[in-house]
Amino acid sequence: MLEDALIPLSITLKVAVLSTCLVAVFGILISYALARRDFRGKWLADILVTLPLVLPPTVTGYLLVVLLGKNGAIGSFLFEMTGWSLLFTWHAAVIAAFVVSLPLMVKTTASAISAVDRELEYAAYTLGHSELETMLFVTLPLAKKGILAGIVLSFARAVGEFGATLMVAGNIPGKTNTMSLSIYTAFQSGNDALANILVITLVVVSLLSMALAAKFVDRWSV
Amino acid sequence: MGVKVSLSKKYRSRGRKGGRDDVFSLDVSFEVGNELVVLFGRSGSGKTTTLRCIAGLEAPDRGSIVVNGKTYYDSDSGIDLQPQYRRPGYVFQNYALFPHMDVRKNIVYGLKGWDAVKKEARLFEMLRLLHIEGLEGRYPSQLSGGQKQRVALARALAPSPDILLLDEPFSALDMVVRMRLRERIKTIQKELGIPVLFITHSPEEAFSLADRVVVLHEGKVHQSGSPRQVFYSPVDRDVAELVGVSNIFEDGAVVGNSPEGFVLEGRGLQFVTGSDVSGSDTVSWGVRPENIHLMAYDKDLLSDDCNVFAGTVLDVTDKGSSKLMAVELDGSNVVLFCDVPTRLLDDAMGLRVIVNIAAQDVLVFE
Repeated sequence: MLEDALIPLSITLKVAVLSTCLVAVFGILISYALARRDFRGKWLADILVTLPLVLPPTVTGYLLVVLLGKNGAIGSFLFEMTGWSLLFTWHAAVIAAFVVSLPLMVKTTASAISAVDRELEYAAYTLGHSELETMLFVTLPLAKKGILAGIVLSFARAVGEFGATLMVAGNIPGKTNTMSLSIYTAFQSGNDALANILVITLVVVSLLSMALAAKFVDRWSV
Repeated sequence: MGVKVSLSKKYRSRGRKGGRDDVFSLDVSFEVGNELVVLFGRSGSGKTTTLRCIAGLEAPDRGSIVVNGKTYYDSDSGIDLQPQYRRPGYVFQNYALFPHMDVRKNIVYGLKGWDAVKKEARLFEMLRLLHIEGLEGRYPSQLSGGQKQRVALARALAPSPDILLLDEPFSALDMVVRMRLRERIKTIQKELGIPVLFITHSPEEAFSLADRVVVLHEGKVHQSGSPRQVFYSPVDRDVAELVGVSNIFEDGAVVGNSPEGFVLEGRGLQFVTGSDVSGSDTVSWGVRPENIHLMAYDKDLLSDDCNVFAGTVLDVTDKGSSKLMAVELDGSNVVLFCDVPTRLLDDAMGLRVIVNIAAQDVLVFE
């Protein structure tokens, strides 16, 4: 019984932590580009990143299956190169969580970066600092509240991810059965005791991560 | 040595509310030495864009910018140095101090690659130069406007820039702080011997600060010269208005000579000017409000002397230290604005007066 709860918990944490790390790195880079750079097709990039926010997760999941499956554009290439299929592994769950939580990260971070006074960046340029140095030491530190909010939202979204994960990673016991998926399974099969344990664990984990984030925000605000 | 700027740029300026954007065309060229130069003009005349082009924060369409022999920009040879390689000392209008760094970190931020001991020495040198010792541990939010301005200056000067650019740096400061900082900038320019370009729209600031004034109007340089030249011999009506000549007579005729100078006629009145207008048939002229002298009306004072007119006070605006009076001259529809240095005359409305203007104060342009 305990194992039935611990395995989904460890899978969920593994998937959510990894996808949040990826979302943080790529989200910040994409947000910076959207907020500060001019490039062709910027509107398209903006739409593509935001799309999973408005699409039902099952649709996002379906599109990912089409893209990552053995016959898909990315999946076939990967399969030919390595003989490895991505679908129905926990890696696929990470990708699903990444795609659905990226828009939350980008929306909050891009608006936080846009709110940073450009004159400060220009000042750094005239003082001899490159764009990368300026981004790292001026822009991002001043946008840190928005960035942290984005990370917290993304983590929460990844923990709660259900639809897209079910489509691309399945619900394989011991491999891809995350908390949300396991709660659904336990509930469907009438295993209320397990469902209760899973629900309580998930609520505690969520509350803990929120409290931790709030503490960081406090410490970071000068 | 010095600064040689010649640039043109077309850009959209912010249109009025609901209106469409206007295409603004900037076409500026001037050459100045290692002196204190004031770029003077109204807001929207292209001063800030010019300064940003020199710093490399905006790109001109065409032209060239050379500072102390170093080419920053040249459209013909395709040179366009990034601001990181121009490294101008730039003081932004809103100070642009890094809010997450204390004063110490702000000031040494431009000292990339310096070792710690040298950095520290330079920091204290700058703190002393701007009289802000003791503030190094504070954050920008804990500073007054004047202190922020000094820190911004210290940060700009710390890396020993080739040129110092200041964009309306004193516009948000009170009178006393302003005057002190002006003196500070003058001294610093003399000490460092680098070209300093200073933007302002205040005639008073331009006059008191500059070694040389470059007057910008609607994207063009109208005049460049010493403050005395610009203020006392404005080349055209636009410059005259900018430097505070508010009584302007356009397209009058040169009708003869008198012992005091040339006689001009326009709008039914004759003026005598001390300026040399030989060779012109028609000219425009103007008089500063503070150069017009008023006396209470007395028939005996009316004479054939030059520039003596009788008139009636139509309106009085109290400016505190002086009064601005609108005087309609007899026998014409001409209204002169006169700045009268008095705290008396509270009820001057309708008063009969005699107006007198010295021939040398009748400024001729165009």
